[in-house]
Parts: sequence; C-alpha cells; structure tokens
Amino acid sequence: MARGLNRRQIGVTSAMIDSYGELIFQWSHNIQTRRGDPVRELDFEAISAQRHELGLSDGQIAERIGLSEIQVMYIRAMMERRRFNTTRFARLLELGGGKRFREERFMAHEDRFHYHDDALALRDAMTFDPARTRHYGEQGWWADGTLSGWLARHASERPEAPAIIQGGEVLNYAQLAARVDTLAGGLHGLGLGPGDVIAVQLPNLTEYLLSYLAIARLGAVMTTLYMPHREREFETLLGHSRARAIICLSDAGGFAAAECALNLDLPKLQSVIAVGAAAPGAVAFADLADGSPSADQMKLPCPVAADPFLLLYTSGTTASPKAVPHNSHTMLGNARLGVGEHLLGPDDILLSAPPFGHLFALYSFHMAMSAGAANLLLPSFTPPALAATIEAGGATVLLAAPAHMAACLGMGLFEAHDCSSLKLAILSGSAVREEMARAVAAKLPDCAITQLWGMTETQGGLYTRPGDGIEIAAASAGRPAPGAEARIAGDGELQVRGSMLFPGYFDNPDANKSAFTEDGWFRSGDLAAEDGEGNIAITGRIKDIINRGGVKYNPREIEDLLDSHPGIAQSAIVPMPDEVLGERACCFAVATDPGIDLESLCQYLLGHGIAKTKLPERLVLVDEMPLTPTRKIIKGRLSLPLED
Amino acid sequence: MEIDPEEAKQAVLEYCLRKGALAAGVADLGALERIAPPGHRPSDLMPKVKSVISLGVGGQTQGAWSVPAKAMGYFGSTETRAYTIAYGAAFFIESKYQKPSIYCPPDMDNEKGPRVPLQSLKLHAEVAGIGARSLAGDILLHPEFGYMYFASIFTELELPPDQPMAENPCPAPSCVSMYRQIGRTPCQKFCPVQCLSGHIDEAGKQAEMHYDMAACAEMSQQYEAVPAMLAEAMAAEDDQAREEALFDPDNKMLWYKMSVGSGGLLAQCFECMRVCPIATQSPMADPIRRAIAKTDA
Ligand code: SF4
Ligand code: SF4
Repeated sequence: MARGLNRRQIGVTSAMIDSYGELIFQWSHNIQTRRGDPVRELDFEAISAQRHELGLSDGQIAERIGLSEIQVMYIRAMMERRRFNTTRFARLLELGGGKRFREERFMAHEDRFHYHDDALALRDAMTFDPARTRHYGEQGWWADGTLSGWLARHASERPEAPAIIQGGEVLNYAQLAARVDTLAGGLHGLGLGPGDVIAVQLPNLTEYLLSYLAIARLGAVMTTLYMPHREREFETLLGHSRARAIICLSDAGGFAAAECALNLDLPKLQSVIAVGAAAPGAVAFADLADGSPSADQMKLPCPVAADPFLLLYTSGTTASPKAVPHNSHTMLGNARLGVGEHLLGPDDILLSAPPFGHLFALYSFHMAMSAGAANLLLPSFTPPALAATIEAGGATVLLAAPAHMAACLGMGLFEAHDCSSLKLAILSGSAVREEMARAVAAKLPDCAITQLWGMTETQGGLYTRPGDGIEIAAASAGRPAPGAEARIAGDGELQVRGSMLFPGYFDNPDANKSAFTEDGWFRSGDLAAEDGEGNIAITGRIKDIINRGGVKYNPREIEDLLDSHPGIAQSAIVPMPDEVLGERACCFAVATDPGIDLESLCQYLLGHGIAKTKLPERLVLVDEMPLTPTRKIIKGRLSLPLED
Repeated sequence: MEIDPEEAKQAVLEYCLRKGALAAGVADLGALERIAPPGHRPSDLMPKVKSVISLGVGGQTQGAWSVPAKAMGYFGSTETRAYTIAYGAAFFIESKYQKPSIYCPPDMDNEKGPRVPLQSLKLHAEVAGIGARSLAGDILLHPEFGYMYFASIFTELELPPDQPMAENPCPAPSCVSMYRQIGRTPCQKFCPVQCLSGHIDEAGKQAEMHYDMAACAEMSQQYEAVPAMLAEAMAAEDDQAREEALFDPDNKMLWYKMSVGSGGLLAQCFECMRVCPIATQSPMADPIRRAIAKTDA
C-alpha cells in the first residue's frame, strides 16, 4: 500500500517493479554519489547537474522517468525490501574493543560452513531425555571437556610430558599437539569438516592416535574398522556411517586396504588416506601430516562437548549394523570421572592390549588424555609382545581382556618379564574367570587387579576399585561408575542408565526399540547378580540361556569348567533347536587333545557336580573360535553343522 | 515590536549554546529552498518560515569509542539533547519575540516509508555552517567539535544567515596520507559493509564520495527486518523453520527493538566514526578534551 492504496489502485504491476525497480533504487537516496563539495560551496549549478547521483526524492524520480510519485514510492519500497540482507548487522558482532572490520578476513554468512545432511542426521541421533540432561549437567558429569581441549591444556601446561610412546619413540604433549594441528589442517584441506564421518582402520600406531585427535580437532566423527575387516565390512560400515574419508594402511599384512576402499562403489567416500607406502589414487598420510597449514593457523573452530565425535559399531558388520554414536559428554565424561576412581595421575603410563578400534582401548586412551598421562602403544597383540612392552615401556596401568592375561599366564610371561612397574591391571572385554583373576594377582603382587564391565553403548559402566582387593575383583565387576546407575531386572538382566550412556543406535530404529526399557534404561543383554554389598557379577548372556524342555539354565558355569579341562583350550555352549525339547546344548570346543569326545567331557562335568539335564548333547571341534578384538567368543558366528 | 535581527540572532544562538549546544548557526533559507527537494523544503513544513536555526550537540564521550560495536549504538542518543535545546529555543523565540516557531521534527515522513525524513537536518546544519560533508557517507564533521548531533528550529522571526564553512576538515591529513598509500581512507577501509568509496584529489580535497546508503541502513537501521522475518515465517518449510524465523535470538531482538523502540543501532553503526580522526581527536570532540581546553583557558 502507498497512501492507503494498493497495487491495483495505483496501477503498479510486477512487471513494472522488475522493469523500473533498479533504476529507481539507484536514483533514490539509497545510492549516493557526490562529486566535489557543491552544497557547502552553494554551487547550485553543480548540485543541479548531479542531483540524480546525490539522491532524488520520489517526486523528482517520478518527474524524470514518467511515473507517478506514488508509483515510484511503492516501487522503491519494494526494491528496498527485495535487496534487504538480513545478515548484514551480524558483521558488527565481532568488532570493537580494538577489533576493526577487515574485508580480507571477512567471509559472508552465505559462504560460511554449514553441516551437510548426513552430519545433521547424526546430530539428530544425539537425543537425550531432558530431565536426565539437566541432572547430568547439574551434577557436573557433563562438562565442557573435549579431546582437543584436553590436548591443548596439556600441551600448554606440561609440554614436555610424554604423550605417546611407541617402541623407542616418545612424542611429548607439545609435539603431539603440533602434529595433530597440522594433520587436522590437512584433513580440512581435503574438504573434510565438522560432522563428517572419517573411518580409521589402523593398528595401534602413533598414526592412529594422531588421526583420532585430528578428526576430533576438526569437529568430525571417527568411526573405527577392525584390522580383520575386509571388503564386505568396508562396504557395509563405510556405507552405513556415510563416511567421507578413510585412513587405513596401504598394505595391511597382505590386504591392500587403501586400494580396497578406492574400489568401493560409495559415492560419499571422497578421500582415501593411506598410511605407509604410496597407494595410487590415495592421499598419502605423510603429506597431510607434514606441511599443511595447521588448524589453528586457519582458525578452524574448536568442537564442543555436545558434538558427536565417535560412531562405533558393535555388531552386524555385514547386515543391519548397530552404530553407537557418542559425544564428549557421554564418552569423555565417563573417562574423566574414571580417572579418580582408578587412582590415575599424570605420571602414569597406560597400555591397552586391545586395539583402539575397540571401546576398551579408547577408554584407556581417553583416561590418559584426561589425566595428561602417557599412552604406551602395542601395535599388535601377541602375548610375548604385551609382556615385553610392559617391561620396556614401564607401563603402570594395563587394560586387557581376560584372554590376553590368560595367554600371558599360560606362557609364563609374567615370570619371564619384569612387570613390576604395573600398579593397576583393569580386566574387561569378556567374562573374567575367578581363578584367572587370582592367578594374575598372584603373579603381580604389587599390582591391583580390577574388573570392569562395559559395552560400546555404556562404556565403563561398572568396575571394582583398586582398593577393593582381589576377593571382590575376582568375583564381580564392582559398582557403577560415577554418573552411572545399574539395576537387575526380574529376568536377571543387567540394566543401566547414566551420563555415560549412548543416546540410541544411529539409523537403526528396530535395534532402538528393543535396546531400552520403557523407563529409559538400557538392556545390556547380560545376566547379573548382586552380592548384597552393591557389587555386581556378570553371570552370562541372556541370549546364551538354554531352554531345555522348559528348564532354563545359563551355560557359563559349564563353559568355565570345560575351559579348565586339560584337553580343551576354549569352549562355547550354544542352544541347538530340538523338535521335542525346544532346545538342547551343543558344545563347540578348541581341543588341545585331539582324542577328546563328548562322553569323556560329560563324565568330567558330572564329576564336578553338573546336573545331567545340563550336559552338552553334541560336541563340535573347531580349529579356532570367532573372536572379538578383546578375544571374546562371538557365539553368533558359530554355525551348527548339519546332523550327521 | 521592533526587533533588531542581529541582536535577536545573537540572543537565540547564545540561548542554544547556554543550554548545551556546541555550535549553532542560521541557515540561508533561500539556499535550503533551492537545494531540498519539493515536499522536504522548510516551507513545506512551515509555510511562513523566515529562518532556519541549526544547532549541534556533542556525540559520543571519549570512552564510548572503545566499546564493542554491538554496544556503540547505545551511545548515539545525544540527539535527544539537541531536540530538547531546539524545543526550548522555539519557546524562547516565541516568548521573547512573539514570532511563531517550531522545533523541526527530526523523524520520518510517514507517507514515504522509514528511509525518508521530513526534513534534512544535515542540510540545515551544513548550510548554517556548523558542519561539512565527509567522505563517510556525508556525515557532517566539524574541525573543533568533531562529530555532532543536530536539531533545527524553524521560525517566522527573520534572522541574518550564516555562511557554510569555508573549509571542509575532511579528509584529515592522516587520511590523505593513508589514501595515498592504499587508495582508501580509514572510514572507507573499516566500514563493515564496505559501503563507502571515493577519491581525494591532488590538493587533498574530496573529489568524489560514493555511499551505498541502502547497505548502511541494512546494517544499522534494519527497517525491512521485521517484515522480512514475517515473510520468512510465512514461507517456512516446516515448524522448525518457522520457529527459527520468528523466535531466534536475532529476530526476538528485532521484536524487542520494535516494541520498546530501543536496543541500540537506530541510526548508524559508528565504525566509520570510530576510526575517524576528526570525530575522535578534534580539540573539543568529547568531554575530556573540552574540560582540558577549559582548564588551559
Ligand atoms: S555507519 Fe557503519 S555502515 Fe554506515 S557508513 Fe559508517 S561504518 Fe559504514
Ligand atoms: S576518516 Fe573521517 S576525516 Fe578521514 S576521510 Fe573518513 S570521514 Fe574524512
């Protein structure tokens, strides 16, 4: 409207606005040019000559162009609206207090970074119950800690302190921070940025931690691939995670990982970064890590604790993947709170036997980063290598799976090597047998043995504390971590919730439906029992329960007995379908005595007081068990042979 | 009643200075009538006007130049003091000389949208000789008082006019040397929307001043922002986009400014003046300098 009249009344059409708008705008006071100083000099001739440049009134424009004044007024107002840029005022917000606008440093709002759709989808998956969020914030369990923040702090406060020890090479915190900064700049140079998923498949090398920290510095998200993963897992996991890049070896012990990634038909995977020898088509890690302008030089924004930064896969590596997203609140908060509970400090040297692709190893790294301690690397586990690394590197804290320890015990490595530097060994990753824990304690008398229960979804959920003593540590996984709560449901299932808990699987609604109870507790799938003093022992897996004609039992006790049989190295009992009884027990075993048979095993079990109804009814000998990185048997991969 | 125009002028200008104006003068009405466009001439507002008196009051205090840019907008509000003095002067003339007078409304012409004022106070001040157009979008500067806010009084009392300033203090010598080195003056270089450009001639005088006032107004006055926000809300793809369009912090602030009529940034962003040597360093530009000048005197 102009003077209360609308377009139709004043005869303005869209075509007129399009045709005359620009000229009217230019002649109006919106754009002004003054030549000389004619007004001050009262040079009326000069004023008159440059009037349309000084800025004409609507009436003057109307006269010049042959429109009515009201039409000009209307068209000018529409042009002012069309040209209006709502973001201009924001340019002011960073100025003043000594800071002036610099055109060369300014980036228009429309050109600034924005998260792409995949990154937003992942951020969307970070949904937490508002009441819990508030509680965690109020308790201080969720704070502002991030890996890049911790690294920067240690680099400035304790620059010379060792951060990574691999073989004879030590990287201190200042050196680590500088290398991470450069690598983050290099990744940025490849077009990677906040929210992008970057996969890593590397052994426990310095390059792994450099990559992880650089990804974290960028505000990107790391997803991990285990070293045994091959093309099928690459395709599934890189596809599901929407990975934009992968950092892997050019030659992973005969597997050309970089080449494999390059040949995948994954349009979102834009960069393959190869560690080691050059791989045609791949970016050389060494080039990125050396000579790129650094993230700090480019003033790349630092991430915050609420940003997702890890996407870890728990199962379904080839079908229906279960991807666990974590941000620094859930993941690093748990590690930060664990430091005090495990009595760790900046002078500690932490060693993880499992690979960094596994949560337990990341837990070790996160605690070290929180405390400003050193990370001693074991590139690839073998029992002798583990024992030798403890001795050579002077590890004070060891995080290992029971199978790692059992192997060292079995080979007498704790006698053969000086492991007296150890003050704490945290056992986790699979069920801890009491005798094994006691045996480790006996071999390492100055080292506290503790047990930790955790999952990728929950991290360090329960653990015994160093002062608990071996009686409690051998028999249970202890008490909830700070910020965590645990309960045992009616069916014996351990359920947890707390500040360390993941928010739900990414892009897997079916898995999410069954993962949580109605009141928001996570169903661990583990069976547990409490000792009356708050210590919780893990007694088996719900899925492993065998229902033989209505009699349900947990085969864990029988497996433990079989594992102590002299002719058996490893055993696993799984249900096999039965038309009459529903299920019967089938025992898979790796035998050290090739003459072992079902009959002799049953006699052995009966001799140890096992009821007849619980005896395995079939024996399948296998060369090796399918294992997780923490050497837990993956029962789902044990396939029953056809009836003979 | 016999009125001596010179004496009356003296009395009116003294009144203005006594009440707090730093400078005051009488503009040549004939010149104003020729320069101002129809509809915005003094006689369009007051048909029997005989004289236009312009006065200027001090702008920012010296401390204001160091605050963050988002707070600078709050410091420009000395114009209300100028209006008060002008209002008082109009009363003074009427009661002393019985000549109808008004203080000139400093606001917008409500039929032409918010970018067109009823009168150009700047033109009155320039013709009255209390400021000269600068390369910073024609902001008036004064060699002694720096950057001022202006108000005008229209009266049927006939007063002898003053002349515009003989010299333009802009560009200052330091601005000329910067221009010679990098082709830009401080105001041009540091304007956040880069809406200023122009040239200085061989003699160090202004040859050409280019000002994208639309960009400056977008930055500081945001006249179109509220309707733009509503348009965005109507066109929003979903509830979340609509919520953002109406309630994000930027837009909520606009609602606040609109409803309360405050929130800073009502005239300009002042970044050009923050770097201007005349605005910030003239001998009487701010209360500290004026106090020192008084003590020295
Ligand atoms: S007020 Fe701000 S936007 Fe306008 S010319 Fe000055 S610096 Fe530029
Ligand atoms: S900074 Fe001030 S004196 Fe210098 S050119 Fe700009 S307006 Fe003129």
